[in-house]
Amino acid sequence: MSVNSDRRRFLGGAAAAGVAASSMNLDILKAESLSNELKKSGKRVLLLWLAGGASQLETWDPKPGRLTGGPYQAIQTSLPGVQISELMPKMATRLHNTAIIRSLNTQIGDHGGGARLMHLGRRDEPNLTYPDMGSVLARELGRSDLQVPDYVSFYTATEGRGNAVGQPGFLGARYAPMFLTTDNKPANLSRLEDITDLDHKERADLRQMLSNRFAKGRVSESLGSHNVAYGRVRGLMSSEKLFDLSEEPQKVKDRYGNSLFAQQALVARRLIEAGTPFVKVARAWWDSHGQNFETHLEMVTELDHVMSTLLEDLEERGLLEDTLVVTLAEFGRTPTINASLGRDHFARAWSASLTGCGIKGGTVFGATDEDGQHVKDNEIGAAEMFATIYKAVGIDPHHEYFVGSRPIPLVDPGTHAVEEVLA
Amino acid sequence: MFQADPKNFRELRTTNRPDIILRMTRNDDTGEMFVGSSDAKVYQVDPMVEQPEFVPMEGHTSYVMGLVDTGKYIVSGSYDKSLIWWNKETKEQVRRIEMAHDRWIRNLTVTPDHKFVLSVADDMVCKIWDAETGDLVRTLDSHIKVTEHGFPNMLYAVAVSPDGKLVATVDRIAKIKIWDFKTGEEIKELEAPKCYTWDPKARIHSIGGIRSVTFSPDSTKVAVGGIGQIGNVDHLAAAGRVELFDVASGDKIHMFEGDDKHKGLVEQIIFHPSGKWLIAVGGDHGGWVQFMDVEKKEVIKQLKAPMHVHQMVLTSDFKTAFGVGHNRLAVWSFEAEAPVEEKTEEAAG
Repeated sequence: MSVNSDRRRFLGGAAAAGVAASSMNLDILKAESLSNELKKSGKRVLLLWLAGGASQLETWDPKPGRLTGGPYQAIQTSLPGVQISELMPKMATRLHNTAIIRSLNTQIGDHGGGARLMHLGRRDEPNLTYPDMGSVLARELGRSDLQVPDYVSFYTATEGRGNAVGQPGFLGARYAPMFLTTDNKPANLSRLEDITDLDHKERADLRQMLSNRFAKGRVSESLGSHNVAYGRVRGLMSSEKLFDLSEEPQKVKDRYGNSLFAQQALVARRLIEAGTPFVKVARAWWDSHGQNFETHLEMVTELDHVMSTLLEDLEERGLLEDTLVVTLAEFGRTPTINASLGRDHFARAWSASLTGCGIKGGTVFGATDEDGQHVKDNEIGAAEMFATIYKAVGIDPHHEYFVGSRPIPLVDPGTHAVEEVLA
Repeated sequence: MFQADPKNFRELRTTNRPDIILRMTRNDDTGEMFVGSSDAKVYQVDPMVEQPEFVPMEGHTSYVMGLVDTGKYIVSGSYDKSLIWWNKETKEQVRRIEMAHDRWIRNLTVTPDHKFVLSVADDMVCKIWDAETGDLVRTLDSHIKVTEHGFPNMLYAVAVSPDGKLVATVDRIAKIKIWDFKTGEEIKELEAPKCYTWDPKARIHSIGGIRSVTFSPDSTKVAVGGIGQIGNVDHLAAAGRVELFDVASGDKIHMFEGDDKHKGLVEQIIFHPSGKWLIAVGGDHGGWVQFMDVEKKEVIKQLKAPMHVHQMVLTSDFKTAFGVGHNRLAVWSFEAEAPVEEKTEEAAG
């Protein structure tokens, strides 16, 4: 059985997190989300998480002709004067909706720490559990009138899965991810065959009645979270077909390809189309300490095909305007090539991409020096990246949640979105 | 002649470099040596002088992955997909074939009579070129282009048998193709599957492949080199591996594997002219040289090299070996160290 991917575990997690929230005396569950208008706008985010750390030099920021550049050449893109790695010929023809950020300096060069930073947008704090990007977006963009999960996270490879943070933190378990690890379909989402739909509904009603009786006269956010989570069960169950690719035309499946990453990207598109506000598809594992160029030949080729197909599909369906597609990782890779022809961890100067909703396509923000060792223009960190993502989908990154009486801004104070890449 | 003893093999000198030297060729008659670099240049160099001078030959735009001496020309091949014929004296380009292959060129070799140059590339085609005119003579094309897991295949190395009759090509998924040189017909497919690691669960990509191939001096055996099965495909975390096959029967004769202190890829294999033993060079973060006894079927000597060794050439008398690799050139000797003379009181005088 998959970890946390089934309904019972989801509910178990909801209950446990609710108790935890209660013990911290949080009142976040009473706080309104930003705007019902924003929810109605149908903005969504699809994160392609390149777990293990993809090389910026073999993707968005090539350094041809330099000793750090590696063997692959840079190719001209559809944007005048902008080149990317020759391993991405398909993306090179369709950068008109994409902004490349080449100036991330996130400082943390270990997988665990880097992944936490790039999921939370900030460093951990001892007495407060922050929500990750997906939980924030699920809360701010999710619509209770749609019977779809708010936050779906795919991570099939086993390496680094523990670093793929999916935590609702102080937002409560209502915004925890549906975490799929062994299959593209959630396990146990279907109603048991020996229970009729009527039985199931009556059981839910009975549970609700008992819960309401228990809650009478009690004031507890954890109970609220608990009940909201249960209340969504039947909606989640009805969304099962979204994960079923047999309902997708063969020509569409052929277009995406047979790899697991491709299939998950297609499921992600189906979820996005149905209204799921945040989907993360993790493609692991890029940690190419040895044989970087062979590893990236395999994985960038796959990324180029899957990402370009996904973007085309979203655009053709009229979804890209309201869907932000992000490529991100815990860090990039060293410009210096080691003796195993590998590249090691490198958080000092690396790249990400933003495509679609709210993005000024065809822009390149920031620059590294000629060897890619340092950011030379427009350095940003994780907080700025998160502020940009939030703002691109209409969320004010300076909005504050309240945990007790303490205001918690969505991103660290003093942080601003990168306006240059915003439409 | 050829009385080299692996026991005496020892490092003589090294030269540091900022780049990665990937390929080399040496003319045994003239002693001329050329090397190919990650800085896209070919250099002429004499590593035996006190401070070697590297004379550049510029024309490629990416890693130089193949370098052969046809006698009259130096021919180089690169990740830039081009082949260049160079005048050895003037260092000027005589001929350039811009798109010799559709994808990255991985290696070159030359026939024993120096009449043909063979190139292999990631378009999974081996091309045979007239060494004098640069005309394409023949293509050998049957390696699959996409692996069963949907990733690009890679064609790493090529060898011609000493009798000039056979060609061997080796790829990422550890297939070995034996071809008839004259007809271009595929004669046989062998495989060394342990050299290719596919990780379906933890990391979902592969590592390894057969990186080196050579025929025995009597052309009856073919040796291939790579790396064994790897648990963590982030690293070259397995011992180097050489597999030896009988060409006629296709039977595997033996598998040689270094110890855990000598991990990494076997980048090149060289048979001693007697056919009794062979040398394997390669490495991971470090480098090594290994000697394998073909008759006893055992690794007889392993020693650390000063760098990951990408290629080695030996003088025809097997007295001296030259190696290139990560940030270094190195020279080794097969000659026993002269015993240190004990100074007598008189001599000390």
